[in-house]
Amino acid sequence: MESVPLQPGDWAFVLGNWPVLAQGLYVTVLLTVGSLLLGFLAGFPAGAVEVYGAGPLRSVVRGAGVLLRGTPIVVLIVLFFFGAPWPDLGGLPLGGWLLVPRFDVNGRALLAATTALGLRSAAYQSQVFRGAIRSIDEGQMEAARAINLSTFQAVRHVVLPQALRRSIPGFQNEFTIVLKDTSIAIAIGLGELLFQGRQLFLQPGQSAVVEVVFVISAVYFVLTFATNRTLDLVERRYAIPEEST
Amino acid sequence: MSRLLEFDGVYKAFGDEEVLEGVGFGMDRTDVEVVVGPSGSGKSTLLRCVNRLTEIDDGDIYLDGDSVHGMDVDSLRRRVGMVFQGVNLFAHRTALGNVTLGLRQVRGMSKAEAREAAESNLARVGLADQADSYPAELSGGQKQRVGIARALAMEPELLLFDEPTSALDPELIGEVLEVMQDLADDGMTMLVVTHEMGFARSVADTLTFLDGGRVVERGPPDRLFERPERKRTDQFLGRLDA
Ligand SMILES: Nc1ncnc2c1ncn2[C@@H]1O[C@H](COP(=O)(O)OP(=O)(O)OP(=O)(O)O)[C@@H](O)[C@H]1O
Ligand SMILES: [Mg+2]
Repeated sequence: MESVPLQPGDWAFVLGNWPVLAQGLYVTVLLTVGSLLLGFLAGFPAGAVEVYGAGPLRSVVRGAGVLLRGTPIVVLIVLFFFGAPWPDLGGLPLGGWLLVPRFDVNGRALLAATTALGLRSAAYQSQVFRGAIRSIDEGQMEAARAINLSTFQAVRHVVLPQALRRSIPGFQNEFTIVLKDTSIAIAIGLGELLFQGRQLFLQPGQSAVVEVVFVISAVYFVLTFATNRTLDLVERRYAIPEEST
Repeated sequence: MSRLLEFDGVYKAFGDEEVLEGVGFGMDRTDVEVVVGPSGSGKSTLLRCVNRLTEIDDGDIYLDGDSVHGMDVDSLRRRVGMVFQGVNLFAHRTALGNVTLGLRQVRGMSKAEAREAAESNLARVGLADQADSYPAELSGGQKQRVGIARALAMEPELLLFDEPTSALDPELIGEVLEVMQDLADDGMTMLVVTHEMGFARSVADTLTFLDGGRVVERGPPDRLFERPERKRTDQFLGRLDA
């Protein structure tokens, strides 16, 4: 059947099937949040180790970062799905609130995708933090030591609060990238937003391809836009008066 | 009774570069000692060796009779405060927050105690009304006074100053020197590296001229300015005093 874009019937079809997309959105948000969280929890210490660490620990962290940043994300996801010894988690029940109907998602696929996206994000977030830590003037660390703060206390109370603030723009970037890259989990059949959209237009006799893609894109855009504006507000809320030279 | 601070044949090299070559002198409680010397003569290094931001190669430094290398760095730095040329205030903390950090983390004060102690130290440097300002909102002179309050709040026995006014616009130097003068009058023991010859002459009990990592001449400032024994001292002080 000829696919004629933008027919009223196709729009009605997409909107009528909103629960399918809502389930996809649910998985996409879960995957994004999980990956960013894992990326932060692993990436933040990794960035600190790259600056303050020494010896084998630092080499290992650096090496892992280079490897993760140098591998295509689709390869990582497939590798973590087929190559890692996850237990068979079966179907993970999700949804059932916020208008999203109950549904099952492949637990192994969700775990694999979260790990792959999360570790790769850690590798990038570590660079954001490393740069932010480095940008804090050495002298403050020295002043902290001179009033007898331990290195740990100085990092915790002097460097980190400033480095975190300076990381926000880099983190906004990272959020946008991770959100959009969750769509690559389609490669292992995880029911995220793009996958669910494809389920819709692959239904026999459907011609709503453009409409589905349009709606999905709009959803990604709204998420990106809203989150970035929120982080802008956070940045402004915690801004330090800057030296105006 | 032992002297509060004593340098005993202190040597320090960075790689091949000999920076301190057998420095020896001492000072007592409530003394104000000013060290002058050309750029690169080892003045900053000398100060940094006292609180072990830099470790010496040979000789020893005694604080109240005990080698600073025998004590753990923590108790040493509790007793010796330092004020830097670059001030190095914590940019994300207000003037008050700069002073309270050490009080809370190192001296273990409660929030209320720390606040009170910090306020009284800010008042001591004439900045009671700027407690809530961030470093970027302060003038250079005010920043340096916060730096002094931050060091004072730790209640050190000895305060080191490394060119505290060198980074300041000329019109801001006076307010910082005034605070230092007040501290000296209150009996604070101070080891000061500075190029402010007026301050050296009027406030120092003893003036040390350091050159090439050695003490060239040392004595009451008036004598060094008026009747220096070494030609090198005369050249240096004469040039700066002109
Ligand atoms: N951490 C370091 N590593 C290597 N060389 C150093 C270090 N610190 C100081 N030096 C060198 O030691 C010499 C003395 O330095 P120092 O900072 O003590 O001099 P100064 O008298 O304070 O000079 P200025 O008046 O310029 O501050 C200089 O040549 C300097 O380059
Ligand atoms: Mg110096």
